[in-house]
Amino acid sequence: MNGSRTGRSLRAMRGPGRARLRGRLSAAGAALVLALLAGGCSAGSPRAAAGGAARSGVVSAVGAENQYANVLSQIGGRYVRAAAILSNPNTDPHTFESSPAVAEEVSSAEIIVQNGAGYDGFMNKIESASSSGRRIIVVQRLLGLPDDTPNPHLWYDPRAMPAAARAMADDLSALLPGHAAYFRANLAAFDASLQPWDQAMAAFRADHPAVAAATTEPVADYLLQAMGMDNLTPFRFQADIMNGVDPSPQDVSLENDLLRGHQVKVFCYNQQVVDALTSSMRATAVRDGVPVVAVYETMPTPGYTYQSWMLAEVAAIRKAVSDHTSTEHL
Amino acid sequence: MGFGLRWLIEPGFWSSSPVRVALVIGGCSAVVSAVVGVFTVLRGQSFAGHALTDVSTAGGSGALLLGAGPIVGFVGLGIVGAGVMDAIGVRRLRGRDLATGVVLGASIGLAALFLYLDSTSRATTGATQQILFGSIFSIQSSTAPVVVGLGLAALVLVGVLYRPLLLSTVGPEMAVARGVPERLVGVFFTVAMALAVGLSSLTIGAILSTALLIGPAAAAVRLTSRIGWSLLLASGLGLAACWIGVLLAYDSYDWNASHRSLPVSFFIVALIFSFYLASGPAARLRARSDGRRAQPPPTQVSAPGPALNPSPGG
Repeated sequence: MNGSRTGRSLRAMRGPGRARLRGRLSAAGAALVLALLAGGCSAGSPRAAAGGAARSGVVSAVGAENQYANVLSQIGGRYVRAAAILSNPNTDPHTFESSPAVAEEVSSAEIIVQNGAGYDGFMNKIESASSSGRRIIVVQRLLGLPDDTPNPHLWYDPRAMPAAARAMADDLSALLPGHAAYFRANLAAFDASLQPWDQAMAAFRADHPAVAAATTEPVADYLLQAMGMDNLTPFRFQADIMNGVDPSPQDVSLENDLLRGHQVKVFCYNQQVVDALTSSMRATAVRDGVPVVAVYETMPTPGYTYQSWMLAEVAAIRKAVSDHTSTEHL
Repeated sequence: MGFGLRWLIEPGFWSSSPVRVALVIGGCSAVVSAVVGVFTVLRGQSFAGHALTDVSTAGGSGALLLGAGPIVGFVGLGIVGAGVMDAIGVRRLRGRDLATGVVLGASIGLAALFLYLDSTSRATTGATQQILFGSIFSIQSSTAPVVVGLGLAALVLVGVLYRPLLLSTVGPEMAVARGVPERLVGVFFTVAMALAVGLSSLTIGAILSTALLIGPAAAAVRLTSRIGWSLLLASGLGLAACWIGVLLAYDSYDWNASHRSLPVSFFIVALIFSFYLASGPAARLRARSDGRRAQPPPTQVSAPGPALNPSPGG
C-alpha cells in the first residue's frame, strides 16, 4: 500500500511535474548566481568583468586582512578596488574558515596581499586551487621571516607596512605602467603619514624606558618591542591563548601575579578574541588598578586607517603608563 | 620523605589557585560520575551514557554561542536529551540502541554547527578544544560552588532513587511485581546520568566524559559483587584518576626545558584505562583466592560486568 503510493509519486515526478521542478530549480539557481554577483559587486570586486575590467584601468585587489586592504587602497587610489577578507572585529582570524564566496573573491583578484606566517593559511589553499598569474605579496617573506615565525602579527612591526606598501606600488606599476608616477606619489604620501607614529614611539622610548607590560596574546608584541617595553608574560602563555589551548596552571598563576603584584604598568588585552580566562584576567587588572589597553587582530572599523590605528594604540599605551587610564575600546 | 614528596609534587602545587579549582571540580565530578556510572554499567546503559556526552557537547558549544558558561549547556541540554531519549523509546530494550544512536547523531551534528559558528562569528578561539577535551585549569573559581551544588543534587537524586533503582536494575520483573514505577525511575536516573556527564564534561571535555562515567565503575564492578563496595571503590578510583591526573599535568610543566605541560584530560583518561586493565587480573586473583571457600550466594549484584547483566527495564 505504502510502496505503491511511493511508486506513483515517483512516476508522477518523471512527468511534467519533474520538468516543472527542474524549471524551478534552474530559476532558483539563476537567482542564486544573480545574488552572488550582486553581493560581489557590493563588496567591490568586479568579478563579472574580471580580465576585461583591468585593462580599462581598475585593478581588483584583495587584502587578506583589512589593514592590508586599507593600505592597498591608499597606494592604488582610484585605480584599485581593494576588498578585505577578514574585517569582522568579532571573529578570530586564526580560526577563519573560508567560504565559496571568499574563494571566488580571491581567485578573481589580480593583486593579493596576505600576512603569511601561518596567520592566513586559508589564502594559500584558495590560491593553489585556482589559476595562477596573479601577483601575491606575502608580508612575512618581504621581511625575510621563516614560515614558522612564532608571532604572526607582523603589521604591528614598524618595518612591515612600509615594505608591504613598496611592494604594492611596484606590482601596481607593473600592471598599469601608465600610472606608475601616481602610485609612487601615493607611496611617498603613505610613508610620510607614518611619521607621527614613528615619532610617538620614539618619544615614548625616551620618556618611559623599559616599561613592564603584561599581555594575553602576542598581538601587539612587535609594537611593544618597538616602543622599548618589557613584556613580562612568558611567550608560552601568549601562544597557548593565541592557539586556543589550555595554558599550564603555573603560567596562569604567573600571569595573575604580574597583575596582582603591580609588577606591570599596562595590560595589553586582545579585545577581538576573548575567553573566560582572559576576561577574568582583565577583571583582575581592572580591580587591582593595572590599566588595560585593547589591542586588535584586524583594523577596528569604521573610522580608522592603518596609520591612525597604530598611532591610537601608541597613544593608548602612553595614556596607560603616564595617566593610569584604561582604553578598553579604540 | 620531604625530598621524595617534593620530587613527586612540584613546588607551588597546593598554593596554585587553578590547581585548587581543578581539584574541587575534578574530584566532585569524578565521585558523581562513579556513583552514577555503577548503575549505568549494571543497567547496561553505557551507550546511552555516551550519547548523553554528545548531547552535552552540543549543549556546551551552544552555550558558548549564547555567551553563557559551558556548564549551563552541558547540564541543561543533557537533561533535555535525557527527556528526548526517554520519549523516543530508550526504555524498551529493542528500540534503545536505535533511539540512543539517533539522538547521538543529531547532537554531534548540532555540535558541529555550534562549534563552526563559535569560531566564525564569535571571538572564541579555544571553543573546540575547550568543549571536546576540557580545560579544567582555565575554569573560573566561581564555577566551583555551582559544580559542587549540581554534584550534590545528583547524589541526592541517586540516594532517593536508590531502592527502586537497585530493584529495577537487578530484578526488573520483581520490581514490576512490587509496583516500582519503572518509567519514572528510568527518567530520573537518566537525568542523574545527564548531570554526571555534564560535570565530567567540564573536567575532561564532553567527548571524554564517558571515560569518567564508565571506566571507574566498570573496574569496580569487576572487583566486587557488593553494590555498596562497588560504589565506594568506583568513587575512589575516579577520585584517584582525577587528582593524580591533575598532579601529573601540573608536574609535566617541569618535564622539559621549554615548560610545555601536557593536557590533564590525557592523564585522567590514561589512568582510568590502566585501572580498568589492572582490574581484570586483580579480579581473577581474588576469585582464585576465595574461590572454593564459599560458593557466592546468589546476591543481587553478582555479575562481573555489564554484558552479563542486561536489564530490560532500563
